[in-house]
Amino acid sequence: MSIILGPPSMRLLRSLQHHQYLFCPVLSRSVTQGEYRRPGKPRDNKPPWQKINFSFSKGLDGIRKHLTLLKREFFERFVGPEGKPILEHMLEQNRVVWEFRGSESLKQWTVSSDREIGGQSEVYLKLGRNNTTCFLYGTLRSTPPRDGETRYSGYCSMRSKQPLAAFDRKKHHDWSSFNTLHLRVRGDGRPWMINIAAETYFSHQKDDIYNYFLYTRGGPYWQEVKIPFSKFFLTHRGRIQDDQHPLWLDKINTIGFTLGDKADGPFQLEIDYIGVSKDYAHTEEFAYELYKRNPNV
Amino acid sequence: MHCARCLLRVLGQSVYRAARPSLLRSPQHRQVLRRFRSNDTPAEFVGAETAVARDPFAAEHKNEASFAEALRAFAEADVRRRGHVEFIYAALKKMPEFGVERDLAVYNQLLDVFPKEVFVPRNFIQRMFNHYPRQQECAVQLLEQMENYGVMPNVETKVLLVRIFGDKGHPVRKYQRIMYWFPKFKHANPFPVPQRLPEDPVDLARFSLKRIANDLDARVTVYQMARTDVSRSGEQTAAAPHIVGIQSPEQMGLLGEHDPDRPVLVEGPFPLWLRKTCVHYYVLRAEPAPPEERAEEPYDPERCFDYPLQLDLDLDRDLGDMDTLDVEDLDEGPVYAMCMTSQGDQATLNRWISGLQESNPILGRIPTLFRLRAAAPPRELPAESPTDESLGREAPPEEARRSAN
Repeated sequence: MSIILGPPSMRLLRSLQHHQYLFCPVLSRSVTQGEYRRPGKPRDNKPPWQKINFSFSKGLDGIRKHLTLLKREFFERFVGPEGKPILEHMLEQNRVVWEFRGSESLKQWTVSSDREIGGQSEVYLKLGRNNTTCFLYGTLRSTPPRDGETRYSGYCSMRSKQPLAAFDRKKHHDWSSFNTLHLRVRGDGRPWMINIAAETYFSHQKDDIYNYFLYTRGGPYWQEVKIPFSKFFLTHRGRIQDDQHPLWLDKINTIGFTLGDKADGPFQLEIDYIGVSKDYAHTEEFAYELYKRNPNV
Repeated sequence: MHCARCLLRVLGQSVYRAARPSLLRSPQHRQVLRRFRSNDTPAEFVGAETAVARDPFAAEHKNEASFAEALRAFAEADVRRRGHVEFIYAALKKMPEFGVERDLAVYNQLLDVFPKEVFVPRNFIQRMFNHYPRQQECAVQLLEQMENYGVMPNVETKVLLVRIFGDKGHPVRKYQRIMYWFPKFKHANPFPVPQRLPEDPVDLARFSLKRIANDLDARVTVYQMARTDVSRSGEQTAAAPHIVGIQSPEQMGLLGEHDPDRPVLVEGPFPLWLRKTCVHYYVLRAEPAPPEERAEEPYDPERCFDYPLQLDLDLDRDLGDMDTLDVEDLDEGPVYAMCMTSQGDQATLNRWISGLQESNPILGRIPTLFRLRAAAPPRELPAESPTDESLGREAPPEEARRSAN
């Protein structure tokens, strides 16, 4: 599993390290570095006006798409919150958020593996049997890249894209009336990790993710997994944190699945649907203690 | 200066030569060290047998005893333990070679190498400013390797850490974190796999089939045990692989109701991972019947006396009462049996079907299709169209028809 414990001052997993002390006379480089730059890759010093590529037809398509979204957004508030009638929004007990029927559903997901940091794992996403499930498969290899800094490697992940409103504004999932995550998966016995990223305010919280384990049984039968949101623990850059707090469900950005179980070889995971539900029998607010940091030894 | 690497190599030689009590005080060892530094080969290696026979770094010499011997040698050499940080890093790296990476006692012995009470901060300024940061980082790396291998520390670890670093340093905080989170997640797996899996392939197949069967009533049957033939030159060749199958009474009932005109499929091999080992299983299943052929059989009220299976009430369910997700149910057809075998070719699977036929005579009348694919799926390019490459529909390399008897 990829959860590692450690005090914040230790820099250990290379891919999550972040160049803070660059001597760069150009202000834009240190201010606008958002993407991870693989060690050894040359810096992209193109001025911003050279990065524009202008295409007329794509521009028209874009305008049409955004105006449609804007119109829909404008008129849906006359129906109710999020386009659903108010009664339905209040009384809803189960909602299917991602259902993999048809190739359009795969466009909402991105896959990544440790190839970005120089490893050799591969991961692919396609539709499963009869185009009704999503099939994530590939090969995991945990040989670390030879860049002198990375010590551990071997991970693959699938993450949903951030929902966007008209003109690429960020939209969030509002799951505040639910308390359980409900999935139907068919794995091959490997342990996965579910990552939920919520909207944060401060830039230090950018890599805050709430995680929990998804243990698959393997076999030809489907497995229904129900995980209450109170079980998700807070991690930052893969390291579990000392100050824990429950996941706030009102602004969820993305959900993802990661595999990093140090067993080299092929893997596969099939997902039928991902939904959220309200379990009235589940009254726990948070599964981990919220008090007493630095207890006496 | 006796650097750490030299000590390890010296120890390799001493292990080969049968252990002596004190390694670095005897004149022979000082001679060996001096010889190490010179370029000419020592006398005992000239004209000796091949290096392989006298290799002090051979795998059979690397075990827990020799590792402990190395730690003891380093500790006894110098009371100040010069170079202990590099030594501990090197030892951590070598632990998998010696096979001791999951052994808590060895980690405690390794922690024992640190000099005690030197690194304990004595006032608030030392506590504030990360007293002896390199040693603290080394201990944290040691605990991190323990955590990576899933080794739970014990009270001896805590006592050692407190004696070495005091009770408010980074190593002790890391120890506290391990002791907090490990018990929380130890039993998080609803389908646990034991650390030591059975070595016998039939037992392993039995365990994994029971795991994926999803039914406690399922029965495991061994249709054939592995048989090896000894050929004339004395080599052993596998004449017959083992075949282990599983079927539950419910699956037997479903197979009994299967329409003999529609074929059953043998699909495989599908991977199943148990910790670090991957085994493969084959499935006997049928395609779901098209909707028009599905007959609704009426519920038998005497099947269950505890509660009625079907209620004819006219209640209206409100939005707040809908407790199932609004998703179309995927019907993939029933699974009738599963098996595991070391050699997944059609002859072996035929043998399995014949074995199944003894308890399910209807199999004699149903045509069987084999959809076998190579065990390692070929490297598929991500840009292929989904309809061609979907798992169930891909053109199988071997497809045969076993006609009705």
